[in-house]
Amino acid sequence: MKKLGIFVLCIAVIACFSGMATAKTLKIGTMSPLTGPYAQDGTYILQGVKTAVKVFEASGGLPGFDKIEILPEDSACDGGKATMAANKLINSNVSAIIGCYCSSATLPSSIPVNEAGIVMLTPASTNEKITERGFKNFFRLPPRDDVQGWSAVKFMENALKAKTVALIDDRQTYTVGLVDNIKKFAKETGQLEFVAHEHITPGDKDFTAILTSLKRLNPDIIYMAIYQPEGSLMSRQVKQLEITATLVTEDACFQPKFIEVGGEATEGIYLTFAAPVADNPVRSSFVKSYSKDWSVGENEIGSFSFFAYDATMIVLNGIKNGGVKNLAETIRSTKSLGATGEIEFNEKGDRALAHAVWIVKDGAFVPYYNPVTDKMY
Amino acid sequence: MDTTSFLIQQLINAIFLGSIFSLIALGYTMVYGIIQLINFAHGEMFTAGSFAGLIVLMGLQKVGFVDSHFILSMVLVFGLGMAYVAVLGVSIEQVAYKPLRNASRLAAILSALGMSIFLSNGMMLSQGVSDRGFPPVFGWDGFRIMDAKISYGQVFIIILAFALMYSLWIFVTSTKLGKAMRATAQNKPMARMLGINVDKTIRVTFMIGPGLGAAAGIMVGLYYGSVRFDMGFIYMIKAFAAAILGGIGSIPGAMLGGMIIGFVEVAWSAFLPSEWKDVTTFVVMILVLYLKPSGLLGQSATEDKV
Repeated sequence: MKKLGIFVLCIAVIACFSGMATAKTLKIGTMSPLTGPYAQDGTYILQGVKTAVKVFEASGGLPGFDKIEILPEDSACDGGKATMAANKLINSNVSAIIGCYCSSATLPSSIPVNEAGIVMLTPASTNEKITERGFKNFFRLPPRDDVQGWSAVKFMENALKAKTVALIDDRQTYTVGLVDNIKKFAKETGQLEFVAHEHITPGDKDFTAILTSLKRLNPDIIYMAIYQPEGSLMSRQVKQLEITATLVTEDACFQPKFIEVGGEATEGIYLTFAAPVADNPVRSSFVKSYSKDWSVGENEIGSFSFFAYDATMIVLNGIKNGGVKNLAETIRSTKSLGATGEIEFNEKGDRALAHAVWIVKDGAFVPYYNPVTDKMY
Repeated sequence: MDTTSFLIQQLINAIFLGSIFSLIALGYTMVYGIIQLINFAHGEMFTAGSFAGLIVLMGLQKVGFVDSHFILSMVLVFGLGMAYVAVLGVSIEQVAYKPLRNASRLAAILSALGMSIFLSNGMMLSQGVSDRGFPPVFGWDGFRIMDAKISYGQVFIIILAFALMYSLWIFVTSTKLGKAMRATAQNKPMARMLGINVDKTIRVTFMIGPGLGAAAGIMVGLYYGSVRFDMGFIYMIKAFAAAILGGIGSIPGAMLGGMIIGFVEVAWSAFLPSEWKDVTTFVVMILVLYLKPSGLLGQSATEDKV
């Protein structure tokens, strides 16, 4: 007994909590990574959806429904798991699905959802192929990767006046697609020369061997097409090895955790992300409710929580105005104002959003360069 | 950066990585040596050590102790972190492995797998799903050998890793308890007949093995700057390969195996396309096992020496 006691003592730090409820309800499914390396981003998305439902219910709720229920599924950034999750949600008769985070999960899992005639909105997946398949029920909130690749190339050519670039990706759908876009747009002027193209494995911690090789090549820029966990660590190792190249990265690193874990090593890193949005009432009320719901600071909100909130609001308002059956048409034909600015979808289900280049300055993301106008902020 | 400094820098990268793998592999090999069990929960002990170290470090930093007494606070971080995991290791042995000591080998392995999943999920629920940042205690300072940059943090960790391995070696070869450990590993019934307390020896093994894993976990946290509940997995796989490569059950074998894995990984990323890096680790392991099935320093069929 004593031994068991010690064992129980050792695990006494563990606390479990879960909550579920059922009623006559409207069901909304979410798919995002709730386990694995990108669980933080997945949680940001789920929290955004939950806040949206809470705000919507507080402002009167949905006529004809007692309750709005969220069915959270774990897509684990994995095509197979996401497709299984999608089928599960289809069988639970959800009215709409918000998800996924990784493009590699959204790409296959959106196929059965679209076939089942269920509306799906992604708050985070930016690979351009996703909306190039003519799906009638699919919408995307953030800007696409061909826009992101073009913006990064413009920035490196015009603002940084770089000549040599070393690319690093982690061999996932999103990062490989983005690097392909960068190579494609760089060909147009031919100014950038790609001196190296390295690959890492998601989950790795040590990149010193690759970085040392890059240090010897001495490129003007190291472009990191990787997610936040590896991005933070790589920034630290770049600083530690005293590599002088400028670091440029992308929207998967654009979240508070990147700076929190990377610390001062992330100072001065450039990132491409959706252009800054002028403050509007929806945005400021979202920031307030979110930080209250999840007790975080107003500048600690995950970047994709904003898109998840908007996606949920579009669904709920769409059902309110046109019913569940016509949801896709209602969404396509309605203009609205969201936390991420004006929302209007084109035929493909994309928004006409632009990217900006941001810089990490004093531990925060600050807009730096506008690739569309070729001007600094 | 000229070729010589490039090679020096990569050599340091390799020694650093190798010493981490060696420390973790030691835990595998010691447990296997003494009860012929692959302790799949070892990767989780590594992670638990990292969390425990982080908690102690944060506590010390809050009261400003790290800045005023750096060495003493490192002793506390490593000491308390390793002690916590040593207790955890012994209690896991008592709860999950001891009742199965006379059952089939498969039952114990399944119990180890279950323990691994249990601990991993426990850490996920208690410590959260996302990365936790380590405060940068070492700063960015260091010194240079030609153009190669070596940080004081790296030096500290490499020295500590080698010191731990050396003390383990002294402990196993020159102390009474170490001798008892070797005797138990060789032949349990005979050791018992000669008056060795086998249960106590196994308990000690389950303190030292996970304790070393915890030290590696704290080193990884301190150097790379983050911990996450599932980070033990990738280290577990590579350290396991290192233990097998060196000959599972052999303590110098695990040290050698860890170093080899570290060197192979770094050399491959340095000179050849990096997308194949993870494959090479296992190709090397398979090649060695093909040529010498018991591993580099392993002895064949240790358990049948009656």
